[in-house]
Amino acid sequence: MKICVDLVKCQLHGQCAIAAPKLFSFGEDGKLQWVEQPDESARREAEEAADVCPEQAITIED
Amino acid sequence: MSETAAAELPFLNLSDPSFSIRSHVVREARDRSWCARTPYGLAVLRYEEVGKLLRDPRLRQGSYAWPAHNQATGRFAEWWLAMLLNRIGEDHARLRRLANPAFSPKLIGALKPKFEALAHELIDGFAKRGRCDFMAEFSEPYATRVICILLELDQSEWRNLADIAGEMGLALGVTYKQDVARVNAATDRLYDYVQRVIALRRKRPPADDFVSLLLQANENKDTLSDQELDDMVVLAVFGGIDTTRNQLGLALGMFIDNPAQWQLLAEQPELARPAVEEVMRTRPTTTWVTRETMEDITVNDLPIKKGTTLHLFAESAGTDPAVFTPGFDISVKRMPHFGFGGGTHHCLGHFIARGDMTEALRILAQRIRNPRYDGAATWLPDSGNTGAVKLPILFDAEPT
Repeated sequence: MKICVDLVKCQLHGQCAIAAPKLFSFGEDGKLQWVEQPDESARREAEEAADVCPEQAITIED
Repeated sequence: MSETAAAELPFLNLSDPSFSIRSHVVREARDRSWCARTPYGLAVLRYEEVGKLLRDPRLRQGSYAWPAHNQATGRFAEWWLAMLLNRIGEDHARLRRLANPAFSPKLIGALKPKFEALAHELIDGFAKRGRCDFMAEFSEPYATRVICILLELDQSEWRNLADIAGEMGLALGVTYKQDVARVNAATDRLYDYVQRVIALRRKRPPADDFVSLLLQANENKDTLSDQELDDMVVLAVFGGIDTTRNQLGLALGMFIDNPAQWQLLAEQPELARPAVEEVMRTRPTTTWVTRETMEDITVNDLPIKKGTTLHLFAESAGTDPAVFTPGFDISVKRMPHFGFGGGTHHCLGHFIARGDMTEALRILAQRIRNPRYDGAATWLPDSGNTGAVKLPILFDAEPT
């Protein structure tokens, strides 16, 4: 599983970091950080993050 | 670094009942500065700064201070302080995670035919007459019955729920002090109604509607307490009705003022989705959202003290000439607007709102041709949360 974020669409609302705090967070510089290739066990959390993104900037590739 | 003195900033009198978010005073202030002084806190006027401050982690949602600013007490104020919008940190994250699945974009596909049928049913009621009060006959029943569909409430309850939402909404208006008893009585009625719905829903087999999803979480009281369950359903009803009702009226007003755009939407129904965005950019019902600084901060050389209220002007940012070419055009690709707020407290119901307003505008443009004002519309003040109270219109009647 691979998590992709379209950083042109991303408006840094941070809803992904609320839905899936183990996968998404903000760095000291305010930039979005994420686990690009998480374990399969994190699929549900990753999908929730993709779902809630207001800009629909997150996609999950198998 | 040189510091900007607050005294050099333009002043906007937000407390003046005749203040308009769209006035030349606001436009001139935006030309002069990104920020203006107001009787309580600062107003942020430009796209770049509104976007940044909306999601700045050093700021919290400002509306929690509403009861204190208004010396408000009673059931509405209690609910207001307890509900999702005014929670922060991990507490807010827990409640938001619970609510999110019920507002997922995946739901929209299934709901679209229901929104479409509802829009046609309401338009059938006045299409042959060639005139209607758009608020009473379309946007209010539409917005309220969408909530009934979403929460699987009895559709026949819509009038009662719309009245309750309207009375509760007085809390956020300028006449709050004289309306306080009505506001609290309406809040009591909504809690009674919500508690009856929850009791009935507990007896049903588990399903995936909003109330049932919350009930599953409520099995563990640490995940969602009984009080939080009630508060959340009250929020879903109240938060969904007034906003969509107002936004649809504002949308029609924009199209009456821009008839070529209505014609374009009728010819190209696939523009309904961008039309929702263009309306919310230029004429959002939520004209500003508030934040409060949790520490001393400096923005563009301006020092801002901890505890300062910031009014982030969605409409002013959405029409900022530094970012947007002037005009109302549903066929132009635009930058994202701030009509749903942003950051941690970004509107929870925006996928539903976008979905239901898209269907409404698409079908209205097909059937309500050549809409124009039928006498004077009545509007709420053009600040805070705005919209039409009455919007009588004339249009080309459908043949009988």
